[in-house]
Amino acid sequence: MTVQPFRLGDAAFAALGAGRPSGDTLGALRRAELSRHLLLLREVRRGLPSTPVWYAESAAGDSGSARDWIADPMTGLWAAEALRRGPSAMPAPAPRNGHRLTASHDGLTLSVRLEDTDPVRAHLGLVPSAPVTPEELAHWRSCLERAWTLLAGEHRPAATTLAGVLRVIVPVRPDPTADGISATSAEAFGAVAMSAPPDPVALAVGLLHETQHSVLNAAGLLFDLVEPDGTRGYSPWRDDPRPAFGVLHGAYAYLAVTRFWRGRARRDRYAGFEFARWRTAVAEAASGLRDSCALTPAGDRFVSALLDEVRPWLAEPVDPEVERLAGLANADHRLRWRLRNLRVGPVDTARLVAAWRSGRDAPEVTPLQVPWSGRELADGSRLRLVKALLKGESAAPPGGRGNGADAACLRGAHGSARRAYEIDLEVDRGNDAAWAGLALVSPHPAVRARPEVMRAVAQAVPEAPIAVLADWLGKPRRG
Amino acid sequence: MHEGQDDGGPAEWRSVMIDLSDSSLADLVELTGQDDSALARALRRVTGDGRSGEPIAGFNSAL
Repeated sequence: MTVQPFRLGDAAFAALGAGRPSGDTLGALRRAELSRHLLLLREVRRGLPSTPVWYAESAAGDSGSARDWIADPMTGLWAAEALRRGPSAMPAPAPRNGHRLTASHDGLTLSVRLEDTDPVRAHLGLVPSAPVTPEELAHWRSCLERAWTLLAGEHRPAATTLAGVLRVIVPVRPDPTADGISATSAEAFGAVAMSAPPDPVALAVGLLHETQHSVLNAAGLLFDLVEPDGTRGYSPWRDDPRPAFGVLHGAYAYLAVTRFWRGRARRDRYAGFEFARWRTAVAEAASGLRDSCALTPAGDRFVSALLDEVRPWLAEPVDPEVERLAGLANADHRLRWRLRNLRVGPVDTARLVAAWRSGRDAPEVTPLQVPWSGRELADGSRLRLVKALLKGESAAPPGGRGNGADAACLRGAHGSARRAYEIDLEVDRGNDAAWAGLALVSPHPAVRARPEVMRAVAQAVPEAPIAVLADWLGKPRRG
Repeated sequence: MHEGQDDGGPAEWRSVMIDLSDSSLADLVELTGQDDSALARALRRVTGDGRSGEPIAGFNSAL
């Protein structure tokens, strides 16, 4: 048997990094994933003492249906799980009884299986929902058809990529703290786990996002893009510290999301907000990766192409007020991330306290990353207010904080907001949302940049007024 | 390294993954390879040895 390694020319590889893979490149990614499935199935079969039914009936034939079965995302997922458990301990693959959903618009067709019965779907990272009811199926079908009309009509290159990659949608249970959740597994190229979409636009964005994860996973199968065993750091899309490949996943997925909103930004304030917010986040995350030494040579080429794609978007005009709110949302996320994940150690805290009590300048301290406790959903109360504002909805939803501090912060009334946050913090110095809010509007760069230091010293000297501490911490050091 | 750029001329990125998409599963099951063969290297790659990253990437719209 003569086999060849996969190769990509530099131009094709750069286009892949820019999120614009050619049809030939997508074909190579599909072949790579098919090769992966074949290798996994080979190992599963060789680990069994006798010929299983799935092998005799489905996998070993040369028919088109046998190849389709092998290439199916759920086959890859099943085979990977079988190798983890041991082939003899894995139940046979389930029949593929999902619902076929097909949408066509302007000569482009998307055909996917809504997979709601296969037990292996539980390994996609989210809790699968029960088999869909006829009403739920009708909702999925309607949303998909309308999402496809939007994508194939207005976002043709992205729709072409989607049609070339997406094969399976697994409905999952919604998360009560999120408007929608979805996930993609590196072991199931072309499958997405997703809660029922609220509307066609949300489905379109969610599918673009998740398909990017699949494309990047296939690229990562072919090429090492990040160095192994790197440190975890900030990601604009998560509240937990992420490894370099996780940051790259976010940047690559949001590259497609940003491009989607870019196409609507001039006619829709909310779209303008999403565009302004994510173009900056993608560019900063990609720049951070390039500066971190976390990338391999292939990864550096990939990310440099990604940056070349997004950087020109940074200069495109957006309503200044929308741009301000986008900047506020990004800064708020970074501040809350710092407060959640960074702590000032006891020695540095003692140095801060000693300096405060002796009237000296605040010393330089180095916050430490707290042990990783797994993924968490964001507490984005201010973000919810921003979105409500942009959509013309009530700025104080029931159950939200909706307090005067946040309202003033969103208005850009920094002095009023600062005083209101300081009052909140005099009541509770453990209120991280208020610490982040104070940092957003503080005139002191030191407080804006490192709110966890301000929190540490404020909790260690509870008798000191917040405003006075902020002035002290923000004061330029002598010498 | 799993990839490289040829010296001189147009750059090309080369993977350790081999294209088996035209192979039959039955042929692959019968095939044996040395530990340092292209097949063995590709097998190590798909079973996760030496690959970085977590299997699941996700999204939630609260972010």
